[in-house]
Amino acid sequence: MKARIPVLDLHMHTTVSDGTDTLEALLAHVKAAGIELFSVTDHDAIEGCRHVLAIRTEGDPAFLPGIEFSCRDEEGQYHILGYGYDPDAEAINAVVNKGHAFRMRKVTGRLDFLKERFGYVFTEEDVDRLLSLPNPGKPHIGNLMVQYGYAKTKEEAITEYINQAEFRDQYVRPEDAIQGILKSGGIPVLAHPPYGSGDQLILGEVLENRVKKLMGFGLLGVEAFYSGFTQKLRNGVLALAKQYDLYVTAGSDYHGSNKLIPLGDTGLDGTTEIPAGLTAFLQAIKP
Amino acid sequence: MSESITITLSGRIDSNNAPEIEKQIFEQIGNGTDMPIVLDAQDLQYISSAGLRVLLRIRKSHPDMRITGVTSEVYEILDMTGFTELFKVEKAYRVVSVEGCEEIGRGANGRIYRIDQDNVVKVYKNAGALEDIQHEREVAKLALILGIPTAISYDVVKVGDSYGSVFELLNARSFSKILKNEPEKLDWCVEEFVKMLKKIHGTLVPRGKLLDMKEIALSWATFMRDYLPKEAGEKLHRLIDAVPHDDHMIHGDYHTKNLELQNDEILLIDMDTLAVGHPIFELGSIYNSFQGFSELDHEIVKNYQGFDYELATEFWHKALALYLGTNSEKKIKEVEDKARIIGYTRLIRRAIRRNGLETEKGQKEIAHWKAELCELLEKTDTLLFLRSELEVEATDENLKTVLSFIESHLNEIDCPPKAQMQIGLAAEEIFVNIAHYAYAPEKGKATVRVEVTEEPVSVTITFMDHGVPYDPLKKSDPDVTLSADERDVGGLGIFLTKKVMDDVAYEYRGGQNILSLKKNL
Repeated sequence: MKARIPVLDLHMHTTVSDGTDTLEALLAHVKAAGIELFSVTDHDAIEGCRHVLAIRTEGDPAFLPGIEFSCRDEEGQYHILGYGYDPDAEAINAVVNKGHAFRMRKVTGRLDFLKERFGYVFTEEDVDRLLSLPNPGKPHIGNLMVQYGYAKTKEEAITEYINQAEFRDQYVRPEDAIQGILKSGGIPVLAHPPYGSGDQLILGEVLENRVKKLMGFGLLGVEAFYSGFTQKLRNGVLALAKQYDLYVTAGSDYHGSNKLIPLGDTGLDGTTEIPAGLTAFLQAIKP
Repeated sequence: MSESITITLSGRIDSNNAPEIEKQIFEQIGNGTDMPIVLDAQDLQYISSAGLRVLLRIRKSHPDMRITGVTSEVYEILDMTGFTELFKVEKAYRVVSVEGCEEIGRGANGRIYRIDQDNVVKVYKNAGALEDIQHEREVAKLALILGIPTAISYDVVKVGDSYGSVFELLNARSFSKILKNEPEKLDWCVEEFVKMLKKIHGTLVPRGKLLDMKEIALSWATFMRDYLPKEAGEKLHRLIDAVPHDDHMIHGDYHTKNLELQNDEILLIDMDTLAVGHPIFELGSIYNSFQGFSELDHEIVKNYQGFDYELATEFWHKALALYLGTNSEKKIKEVEDKARIIGYTRLIRRAIRRNGLETEKGQKEIAHWKAELCELLEKTDTLLFLRSELEVEATDENLKTVLSFIESHLNEIDCPPKAQMQIGLAAEEIFVNIAHYAYAPEKGKATVRVEVTEEPVSVTITFMDHGVPYDPLKKSDPDVTLSADERDVGGLGIFLTKKVMDDVAYEYRGGQNILSLKKNL
């Protein structure tokens, strides 16, 4: 396949989740980077996509609604990307709401745990502020602990205190995320497959079994082009895509200024041979 | 000094601290530097994929980055994920302990321990050990290429705060150990010791590959000027300066702990002092190993070599006699005195540099060596001595060199003119034969050895070549009644040789034709 494809980056975050760019700033950066097709994939949230659809104007780069669900089951953690869904569809909103509820329960659970185990308490004002964040999580609690002098650094707060409590059942399951995306007209894709939910290393047969299991739930694609991949990792994912006839996507996982990933850094450039799975994906998302 | 920026990674790098570490690293390497980045991962225990992505981003901005001291656990992760293909990854050195291990050798730069049945490790004591290891590896390789049997290190390891290089040395025993446990093998040890020594000194080294021992010796002489009477200091410098440049190999620290018997093979080890130069420099260092160090305290050689001073003295004397190819005490003593000049120079300098002037024992030793040295300098006019062997290209042009080499030996023992002429005639015959036939149509080398005995006085001249096996003695004596045209080439020469010499013997051994001519005087 030698047909030209648009310059694309289908994996990026904004202030809606843990990125540092506002949606407006991101749109400006995307344009400046010469990206022709982009997708915003905030963690467990679709409101950013609604907003982008609202602020886009004529001549802006092509936009594909996206999301990145953090999922967990008995066998591990997964990041499932969803593309091209209808943001108003009931199914995907249900999963997002469920995820948000879990998140809130986890935050309050963690605060309770810190109080009970270590006697760390926070003012009502600070707790309210925390709970009113769109996506509160461990880093926000950690920052608060540093402010109160309970820990020296956010890292120490997380590893030494917050992680002492686990809420294994308070996560969206991968089958729910995949089904929610499919039922809303979207394409479910496994994000950075060898890295699991971002910090594991899953290779070889274990990875293959994982993909096969998720395909059983309806998974349709894998993210084979990714800023954090070596050629070896990329080739491994491409081989899986070929073997199981999966869509292939490409994303940087841009987070603004708090991670040093440039926009558009996907490992895909003018010299890359375009795999059939990517061409098929671009076909599939055409309106 | 360093042309790179080194950043230390330690502990764990995972999603918790990766962003913070990444920020710190980029702060360190910021400022748009072009210098290569070296990540020192010696203390890095674990790296998760979040950490890998940090490495990848450093790699993207600094394509020449490398990571060193990687533990095997971290290496496995880098290897599985293809990061080892992306930048240079240097594994951490294996850690080896020598506690309780037998010390089998001791050299100028370190000690050698046996770590198991098959392996030994040479532990370097100095700070620049990695460079020294690299140097020794290179010179050992060079020696091996040039035909000196030696062990090449196959691994570099960490030993305490220092580094070591590991060699395979199967079931090997040092000559010191053999002499200690089986002193009856003295003669065999001497023979093999000298054989190897001659092999080293007969090895021509391409220019510029090894240090020149003469230059080093000159620097000693310069150092000594401050500690010797003016005249003696100047003479020492003059004597060393007069030693001609020599491109043949010398070991530099040749003694019985550095010769290992491995199965039936004899290996030379501890190669870091390998150099080129005149053999007198080597003899000086050998003298020290067996005598010089222990002259005032005989326990020193016992502690170091394992055998006592008497055996050391006997070994040195026999080895020198064999090396020089003579049993003339006068000749041996002469060369020993030259060796002692070099030896004492080294000893005094070494003792002074090790603050010997500040201790009573040191002062006593230095005074003793100094007195000996000054006395020797007074009566010595040259450090050169007549070598017992000469190796030359077997060509007609070199006949003159060979004949004058033999002649200088005969002059030394006041050989009568008639015998001298007869020996010269025989030597010419044999050498020309080798030049014409041994390697034809190619060229090759011939070695000539002159050995002299006293009581009864005799001289033995041995010719050795690696040409086609040929026993000239098997040829039937020519029919001297035939005309010149009808006679076999060379036949007459051998006939004459047999006639004028008292004993002529041929053997083919070790791929060599060995022909000896003996003349009783």
